[in-house]
Amino acid sequence: MVSLIGYYTTQFGELWEKSLSDLIEEAINGVLKNTRLDKKQIGAIFFSNMLAGVLENNLHTVSKIAEILGVNIPIFRVEAACASGGVAFHLAKNYLDANPGKNVLVIGAEKMTDYSPEETTSALASAASGEEQEAGLTFPGLYAMMAQYYLGKYKYTEENLAYVSLKNHYHGTLNDKAHFRKQITIEQVMSSPYIAYPLKVLDSCTVSDGASALVLSSDRNVGRKEKSEIKVLASETANDKISLKERNSIDEILATEISADKAFTKAKVNRKDIKVAEVHDCFSIAELLAMEDLGFWKKGKGGKRIKELSTMYGSDGDLIVNTSGGLKASGHPVGATGIKQIGEIFLQLTGQATNRQVNGAKFGLAHNVGGSGGTAVVTILGV
Amino acid sequence: MISPVKIWRRQKQVRRLLHRKGKILTWTVIYVTGDEFKKFAPYPVVIVKLENGENVTAPMVDYEKEDLRIGKRVKVVLRKVREGSAEDVLVYGIKLKPLK
Repeated sequence: MVSLIGYYTTQFGELWEKSLSDLIEEAINGVLKNTRLDKKQIGAIFFSNMLAGVLENNLHTVSKIAEILGVNIPIFRVEAACASGGVAFHLAKNYLDANPGKNVLVIGAEKMTDYSPEETTSALASAASGEEQEAGLTFPGLYAMMAQYYLGKYKYTEENLAYVSLKNHYHGTLNDKAHFRKQITIEQVMSSPYIAYPLKVLDSCTVSDGASALVLSSDRNVGRKEKSEIKVLASETANDKISLKERNSIDEILATEISADKAFTKAKVNRKDIKVAEVHDCFSIAELLAMEDLGFWKKGKGGKRIKELSTMYGSDGDLIVNTSGGLKASGHPVGATGIKQIGEIFLQLTGQATNRQVNGAKFGLAHNVGGSGGTAVVTILGV
Repeated sequence: MISPVKIWRRQKQVRRLLHRKGKILTWTVIYVTGDEFKKFAPYPVVIVKLENGENVTAPMVDYEKEDLRIGKRVKVVLRKVREGSAEDVLVYGIKLKPLK
């Protein structure tokens, strides 16, 4: 059995004083301190990053990490667009399954705020199909097309989407590591300018700097001593066609459905057992699709269910979603996001989530998506 | 610099698609763009189901506001799609035009 024994995240935000290497160093040292492990006890590192090669001509980061840490262990870099973190975690778990008795560090980091919106938009669009890039589509544009289709099909309006942002911004106020810590109103979401119609600025996550790290262990001598240890019950991933136009359905992410079904089967956990989840809300529409595709809500009901705000902290709902603030308020330093999501579930299940602690949660789920749905990862954790 | 060899490879698809007709499956209007498209913003991009069952993603041109709706009939036309520096090859590709 693979256990998760520690988590550390840097602040997410516009961290002008910190480089990618600074963020990596802080996250690695932070998680080693939290787990009271020495770097010599780490058997391998999985590093998740999407954009350093495109934006800052910075590749072969694995060797840079070896230099920062002063180690000669295997280090692997993982790239799967916005799902890089989830996939790195998946590979680290598989590595431990194949190499029992070790500790593996998973770190995700991204440096995005040194660049103009056009530069980061272009760089992120590298994860779309050639035809989509040539048509001038952006990631907000792809999700806007999904939103347009969904709103039309189920007769919802932009206001239904706005409730996702309202909820996640409230959660952001409870998380001192979040990029945005300000409550917003439905009126503010509705009056914010369009990025890609029908999605507005306040329907969208923000580019951010940050790094998050976890330690996975199958070393009985280490994990058992920690009081904060939770089990990795399942980590499943699936891919799908990169082009939105080629998918079975415009308003359904098949890769999420497949990963979720496999993860629930493997973990032997029911959907109703999950009390806390981090789902991929790069845009408001994405959280509604995630809740439906993961099987928490019926297809087409998301627009109605979100207005009830039963997934908001403090409600009497059975499942609280995106307590970290989600990508929306916590920020989306792409490579770090999937790690932070799993880390937030770790904090919740070990009772370390402070003022946003969901009481009595025994099982939690993290859901990470790459591109417009070309990759999905679903991780289920349990005490 | 726009790569002529990439244009040559892509343009093999263009001839096959020209003048085909179809219906809008979904659409958006892009306001925040990547570097190369900034001067065109805001511009609509749509996914169209062609009569032969194939789907195409491309920008809309020569449209009125009311043409941007799911189900609207459009046709594939040849248009300039990108423009580099003065020495670059002009890039032609497909765009979609509403049918009356």
